Amino acid sequence: MAYKPQYGPGSTIVAENRRKYMNPGHKLETVRATTDEDLVLIMGHRAPGSAYPSAHPPLSEAGEPDCPIRKIVAPTEGAKAGDRVRYIQFADSMYNAPCHPYLRSYLESYRFRGVDPGTLSGRQIIECRERDLEQYAKDLVNTELFDPALTGIRGATVHGHSLRLDEDGMMFDMLQRCVLDKKDGIVKYVKNQIGEALDREVKVGKPADEKWLKAHSSIYHSMVNTPYRDDEEAIDYIKRIHSLRVKYGFMPKEA
Amino acid sequence: MTNAIYPQVRVAPARLLNPETVEQLLNLLAAQEGIRRILLKGQSLPAEVPYGPARGAPNPHSKRRTITVLDEEVELRTHVGTIIMELESIEVLPAIRATCDEVFTRFPYSIQEGRFMKTQATTSDYAKYGPDADELLLGLVDPKSRKGPVILQGTR
Repeated sequence: MAYKPQYGPGSTIVAENRRKYMNPGHKLETVRATTDEDLVLIMGHRAPGSAYPSAHPPLSEAGEPDCPIRKIVAPTEGAKAGDRVRYIQFADSMYNAPCHPYLRSYLESYRFRGVDPGTLSGRQIIECRERDLEQYAKDLVNTELFDPALTGIRGATVHGHSLRLDEDGMMFDMLQRCVLDKKDGIVKYVKNQIGEALDREVKVGKPADEKWLKAHSSIYHSMVNTPYRDDEEAIDYIKRIHSLRVKYGFMPKEA
Repeated sequence: MTNAIYPQVRVAPARLLNPETVEQLLNLLAAQEGIRRILLKGQSLPAEVPYGPARGAPNPHSKRRTITVLDEEVELRTHVGTIIMELESIEVLPAIRATCDEVFTRFPYSIQEGRFMKTQATTSDYAKYGPDADELLLGLVDPKSRKGPVILQGTR
């Protein structure tokens, strides 16, 4: 029988969401329509409409060495064109943000090619070729993985994921890259991801309501969502892993 | 210096506070008798981007603004998260609780009793203020800050 990945243990909605997001066979729900130009502005690596600067000549002109691995692995569009490596970084609030750093790295590894995800406690960075990045960033921002209030696109000064929310429900941001417009209830980016002012506001939509967040969050939280201890299957699995590691630490020898 | 004989309380709302809410709360608290000192704690909101590629760029932030408390201007440099108070007597606590009930209507808060201010000068305090420092400042002001506390005339 062919191997079928299970992605992760757990019997709660949080565990189910984690599996859903990681599974490349599951089509992520598109919930907003941020344009390519909007994303280029927020990321701030190049001016919208400008050509992609390159780090090396296109592979077709480079005269690659005779390498069996290169024959097996098809280059991505960005690699083919010799694009620079650029990044997008996200901070996710622990108050029911849809995604979180570890899961981001897992799902990006399952879903995208030619990426280098970097995971930290409160933020997650993904690096890849510039034109690939723009495509992937669109998937990460326009789908259910993103909430305008609880997910921040932050290249530097990322602190906020573990802090209480603002009175208006936004995650703390020292640089206030995005603001909630009280008139129309839409979150607008006024600075790019490193904190430089944008020429125009970039709208990323309305923050989701509590019900939607609870149904889409992939974070266990004992106060605002499903507590981890309520997920018996996940706990059993962790106990099993823990037990096996400890036993292996003693180097048991088979009789 | 904080004297351990004075009781201290910490108000921790469930949300980080807007300047307007801080202004409303402080005006109500400062008008009460029996509060010796108030310390606002929260995440720093610098006027310029402190690090990263945009270091030195201006950092406009709607939560950093000047509020007015009992006719004194108080420049908020943090996004206020907790309010620590030193009281003359713990009998003031019910009045503080009533004030918080009046202000925090959209989200819950908690009040804790304990010791939240320094009880002796640190090396940094000594380096900044020297051996003859004003004892009222220690434990209240960031030793690295060039700005001092705001003195409110209060009810006296």
